[in-house]
Amino acid sequence: MELIQGNEACARGALAAGLKFFGGYPISPSSEIAEILSSRLPRAGGVFVQMEDEMASLGSVIGASLGGLRAMTATSGPGFTLMQEHLGYASLAEIPCVVIDVMRVGPSTGVPTAPSQGDVMQARWGSHGDRAALALAPASVAEVYDLTVQAFNIADRLRAPVVVMFDEVIGHMREGVELVPPRPEDIWRRPDPVGPPGSGHRAYAPNEEGVAQMPRFGDGYRFHVTGLFHDERGYPSTNAELVRQTLERLERKLAPVPFWLPPEKYRLGDASFVFVAYGAVSRVAREAVDRLREEGVAAGLYRPRVLWPVADAQLREDLAGAETVVVAELNRGQWVDVVARALPRSIRIVSHGKSGGEPVTTDELLAAAADLQPRSVKSS
Amino acid sequence: MWRKEIRLAGSGGQGLGLAAMVLADAALQAGLYATIMQSYGPEARGGASRADVTLSDQPVANPWFAAPQVLLALSQKAWDRFSPKLEAQAVAIVDRDRVRVAAPQSAWVLPFERTARLELREKIVANMLALGAVGVVLERIPCAVLQEAAQRRAPKGFSGVNRIAVARGWELMAMAQGGTLHAESVGP
Repeated sequence: MELIQGNEACARGALAAGLKFFGGYPISPSSEIAEILSSRLPRAGGVFVQMEDEMASLGSVIGASLGGLRAMTATSGPGFTLMQEHLGYASLAEIPCVVIDVMRVGPSTGVPTAPSQGDVMQARWGSHGDRAALALAPASVAEVYDLTVQAFNIADRLRAPVVVMFDEVIGHMREGVELVPPRPEDIWRRPDPVGPPGSGHRAYAPNEEGVAQMPRFGDGYRFHVTGLFHDERGYPSTNAELVRQTLERLERKLAPVPFWLPPEKYRLGDASFVFVAYGAVSRVAREAVDRLREEGVAAGLYRPRVLWPVADAQLREDLAGAETVVVAELNRGQWVDVVARALPRSIRIVSHGKSGGEPVTTDELLAAAADLQPRSVKSS
Repeated sequence: MWRKEIRLAGSGGQGLGLAAMVLADAALQAGLYATIMQSYGPEARGGASRADVTLSDQPVANPWFAAPQVLLALSQKAWDRFSPKLEAQAVAIVDRDRVRVAAPQSAWVLPFERTARLELREKIVANMLALGAVGVVLERIPCAVLQEAAQRRAPKGFSGVNRIAVARGWELMAMAQGGTLHAESVGP
């Protein structure tokens, strides 16, 4: 058992996953990730570069990844905004990379040191175009470690940018953990290129999972990488059917992720009153569930570990027994829209958003529950 | 379920972040669960800084609290800022030479910094003395476990004096509770 911080768990998870390149620009409340990697990554045979800004940071990560390295950057809201351009590029050009976003209060420079979950929709729609997005949301120090490892696995297997997002509370809290390093067989690899190098090589020909099978730069293959829609050799195309098929494929290839990392269901079996929460708020909601159960309320918690993409059918099935769903978030209500879209109208959906930089408390959630369930709460 | 929320408060540089790490480490050794939330930003470099430690015999769901059950204040600013939030049954511990406690508030008023300076010749270990005193009121972590953690986390050259400081702080609190320590201010 050791006592470590979420940000340190993130850095160590990245190293355990085989991180070999970090390009970043330190920013509160993510700075410890860069700080720790600046000393440990070179000792692990990797490269650490402090770039001039966040756009260049993700640019350097994309370059390192095309060369075959496991690469990442870490930032917070203001930097995440600057990275949106390159996130879109990495999505369409199918370049694996990991982006850590430790969320603080925004917009703009906002409150640099206070927690928030305000970047959830930015992770989905921050980059222009109908981009399919991947975002993971750990809720404990140990899970930051595990999901950072998984982020690299998913990025490589699906050749896509993966965002790991957590609030300042998770980034800075210390707790006792036993970190379990991944075994060699737990590390996923990128799909191998098909066929030998040659003029007919099709770097963007998808495999059965819909993923491009690109070689590394420097391996003797000639292929083209672009942010334009492209054919299987990587050369630009404006063919409408190709554009449609590519968009569908890029979305389809991400669809298994919520099943690889299923949601946590806490006391959900017979629950009619359900909190939906992620990150630090989910810890508070879990406590509220226990307190409500003591009072005789059939309460439960649904905690997604993958915020994007959403498996609508799975969400609908998991929450089918609920009468009331309270979506508690450290923002003014973002993921609540996802829940509302997935669930039938017969279920009452309530947004419990909080902004301002103070964490949600158990008492607040209990008060919200009392307002919504006057009979069961007061009768006990 | 046993759960204690402890706020270690003072000004930046008094070593309250380290004290929190030692306390949480010792708690893990004693088979408890622990989390730390530390003040972050400008106040950590001066002003009223704090490190919030939550200990429990169950995994800690929520590491954040508004009002602690145990408050340690090593500066007047920290006392003025955090003591008004205390509930009636909370335990407060302050440094005798740093904090003035005005009625109707009450606290254990102990000479941490003075003892560190005069007896241990290291003013800087006042934090470890204070931690020893906190250990007594928690009633869950043996003094020896706290001492070991203080030794493990000590900066170079301080492991011996840290051990002694924790024990001395523990003793001061035990004496105060037993009524054998002369304290110029009020005890609860």
